[in-house]
Amino acid sequence: MLILRVLARSGELHGFEIAKSIEVLSQNILTVEEGSLYPALQRMLIKGWVKAEWGVTAENRRARYYRLTAVGRKQLEQEISRFERVMGAVTRVIQTT
Amino acid sequence: MLDELIRRSLRLFASRERLDREMEEEMRLHRELRAREMQADGVSAEEARYAAQRRFGNTLRLREEIHQAWGWRWIDELRQDLRYGVRMLRKSPVFTLVVVMTLGLGIGATTAVFSVVDRILFRALPYPHADRIVSVGLIQSLETEEFTLGGFFFDWRDNQKPFAAFASQQAGPHACDLIGSNSVQLFCIRMQAGFLPMLGIRPLLGRNFLPEEDQPHGPPVALISYGLWRSRFGRDPNILNHLIDLGGKPVRVVGVLPERFELPTLQPADVFLPFQLEEEEQRNAFPGTPMRTFARLRPGVSIAQARAEMEPLFLSTEQMIPTSIREDFRKDFHLSIRSLRDRETEGVQLASWVLLGAVFAVMLIACANVASLMMTRGAAREHELAVRSALGASRARLIRQSLTEALLLSLTGAGAGMAVAVGLLRIFVALAPTGIPFLGKAHLDSRIAAFTILVSLACGVAFGLLPALEKPRAMMLAVRSIHSSTRAVVRRGLVIAQIAISTVLLSGAALLLRSFVGMENQPLGIQTSGVLSAAVALPDSRFPTGQKKMQFYLNAEVAILQLPGVSAVAWTDSLPPGGWHDGRRFSDFAVAGRPRATAAVGEVVVCRRVTPDFFRALDIPIFRGRNFRDADRNSKQNFAILNRLLATRLFPSANPIGQRIQVGAAKDGPWYTVVGIAENVKNDGLNKPDDPEIYFLRRNIPDDWTNGRAPVAIVDSVLPPQIVAPSVRSRIAQLDPIVPIKIETLNDYVSRLADRPRFETALLGFFAFAGVTLAAIGLYGVVAFTTAQRTTEIGVRMAIGATRIDILRLVLREGLRLAALGGAVGLIAALALTRVLRSLLFQVEPHDPVSFVAVTLLLVLVALAATLIPARAAMGVGPAAALRGE
Repeated sequence: MLILRVLARSGELHGFEIAKSIEVLSQNILTVEEGSLYPALQRMLIKGWVKAEWGVTAENRRARYYRLTAVGRKQLEQEISRFERVMGAVTRVIQTT
Repeated sequence: MLDELIRRSLRLFASRERLDREMEEEMRLHRELRAREMQADGVSAEEARYAAQRRFGNTLRLREEIHQAWGWRWIDELRQDLRYGVRMLRKSPVFTLVVVMTLGLGIGATTAVFSVVDRILFRALPYPHADRIVSVGLIQSLETEEFTLGGFFFDWRDNQKPFAAFASQQAGPHACDLIGSNSVQLFCIRMQAGFLPMLGIRPLLGRNFLPEEDQPHGPPVALISYGLWRSRFGRDPNILNHLIDLGGKPVRVVGVLPERFELPTLQPADVFLPFQLEEEEQRNAFPGTPMRTFARLRPGVSIAQARAEMEPLFLSTEQMIPTSIREDFRKDFHLSIRSLRDRETEGVQLASWVLLGAVFAVMLIACANVASLMMTRGAAREHELAVRSALGASRARLIRQSLTEALLLSLTGAGAGMAVAVGLLRIFVALAPTGIPFLGKAHLDSRIAAFTILVSLACGVAFGLLPALEKPRAMMLAVRSIHSSTRAVVRRGLVIAQIAISTVLLSGAALLLRSFVGMENQPLGIQTSGVLSAAVALPDSRFPTGQKKMQFYLNAEVAILQLPGVSAVAWTDSLPPGGWHDGRRFSDFAVAGRPRATAAVGEVVVCRRVTPDFFRALDIPIFRGRNFRDADRNSKQNFAILNRLLATRLFPSANPIGQRIQVGAAKDGPWYTVVGIAENVKNDGLNKPDDPEIYFLRRNIPDDWTNGRAPVAIVDSVLPPQIVAPSVRSRIAQLDPIVPIKIETLNDYVSRLADRPRFETALLGFFAFAGVTLAAIGLYGVVAFTTAQRTTEIGVRMAIGATRIDILRLVLREGLRLAALGGAVGLIAALALTRVLRSLLFQVEPHDPVSFVAVTLLLVLVALAATLIPARAAMGVGPAAALRGE
């Protein structure tokens, strides 16, 4: 979800940029093995949530840029709403105690 | 869904190098950027690189994860399994060779036999919805294939209800000449305009007959076969409306039949003409033109229903029969409706099923053998599997590994099997008797290849799963290979089953062999060596009258008799001991001065129309009365010779010589004077009892030469047939240079009659041999394996005083116990199953004791041989060596 979120916000990013964005977004709390980003991206590619194109970075190096597709956007919305539902439920549970 | 997944992963897999490279590049970039960032924070370059790598994680594992995302995991694992499997197989070449050969034999034999019986039992006939086509008509003791007669055909056609189409062809094709720059003799046959539509066949070119062409004196048109179109007209597309000269009459070609077309009677035919029957005339004439009628059942109507619905029509037909013979008709004629497949192959279906059963038995034995071998190997690999399982291989993964190896083996076996099948099929076709339809056309096609692969896969799964299902236990790591008792039980069970199955095969083969030898060695009652037969077909176009035909035959007789070495020449219409012959019902015979006998209806009397030398040429003794004389040939009277059987049947007490008999239902038929009694000869095929027989003298009047089949010459000579044959041919050619002549030695003719049983015996014998060999290998394998496992035990036994004979007894007992058990089961099964063979056997009972004793003896011998080898090895065990090995 984080990946989708980051892509939704910034449009076109390559792998390292995505990783950085997640870091920033989650304020360094959610640091996982950075490499696991790539299998996740491949799974999304196959599901059609993101599209990838080779491009050139600001430093003139070849990099693969990922972009959200319409399907991916819908998926993100779904996931956000589900997330909010769960969070809401959790919050209610916490508040009632 | 699944196949889409597989397709996608395969597509990705096809460009795997690029994908992997790109992935690699992407990840490298990530690490480099991260390292740069850290360097900017003041970390040394070296350190930054390691830290970046640490944060990134295990690249190798990530790559695997990505491959899994791409759906490659199964491909990777399959490749691993395959590579591993090939390596394992190459490491034990003997094992691989034995397995591949066993499977090759099993699969090859199965495929070859299936190729042969496929067409007979399963393959669709070359007509659309052929399962709805039936043969309809009467059957009687003289003609057991359905036929109809013009006298009632139209009545049936107009009033029948169960059929959507109902049409006839002529009873059989007739010879006709295609006149042209080089004239040839062809087969022509007439059929109704509705015949091809009933079969669902449309001409390849042109059209079917029009209804008006099927009327009497309709325009002369013809359809031609694809074969004739190709051979004679070079596939000329302009053949339509072409005039061909058929025996002097111009006929217009209106169509060409498809390449795969065949008559439902399977008769050969090149030219098809409209039947052009005069309907009114036929309705009033009894019996009318004989024909073969086929029909297409209406949807939803079964053959039994059709028979029930046709019964009233059949009964009304009886009313058309002249009252004088109605009683005979009622007793002997029956309505018959059979599926087309039964009509074509009924006689060989039993043999086909027997062969198919035999070959599946061999396949089972082969499979059991391979399973047994795999289990032996499984035992040797228990340790390895246990280690792999301890290292984290899942149960499913291990089973898949075993399966991959098994499938690898079975596919290699299938390859070998295909080679064996091609060879075997070639042998089958070479041995092929003419009596088995379609055998000449049998070939390996894609269906059969698919069948082979299916069989081998089934085999692979069967014997791959057996060993794999045994759970690798952790114990096996600790203990150095323990003897699994369940496995031993399964293996023993397999061996017992193998021996039982091969016992059944052996019994069947032994019975057929005994029957065949008996058939070959039976006295035929005729001399066959040094005798030739020469069939000469005179075309009507050059011999239009009976007088001309007779003159030709008489001239030929004189000409051949003048040849050096030739001692007797006779003309007859048929040859003993089998094949086609004319026949009459016994109840058709009347003796002068006696009321007509009302004997059991249906018994057939063989009739032959011969010239006087017939008995001398074939060495048939006339034991009472005299032979025909040359003078008789010019007599006004009719003469006949009876065989011993017919003489005793007709004249149980009186002297038959000089008696007069009348043959045929009609009361005004000719009377024949009996001049002699001949010894019985084999006259109804090799495997049936003798029939009563009558010989009519062929006199020098044209009618005696034109009624019935074209005559065949029998030539007896003291010179070898291969010397006489060419001169006979040239003598006939001197009389007429282009009449077709077919010369065959009588020995070849008789041996051709035995082709079918020879074929069946050879095949079943081959399968029995293969089965016993495989079973012996299986028995040997089990005994050798258990003996090897008991090496220590044997060593101990010897150390405490067992003699070598004791050890021999120990091992032999084990092997022979298995053999005895399997043999007993097999013999019981065989006693139950060989009953099926009864109709294939000649003068041998299905429970023939000699065959069964022979089979038992053979089994004991084979079992002894298979057990003695490991037993001898066990005897050679040195106690010290055995104990040290532990």
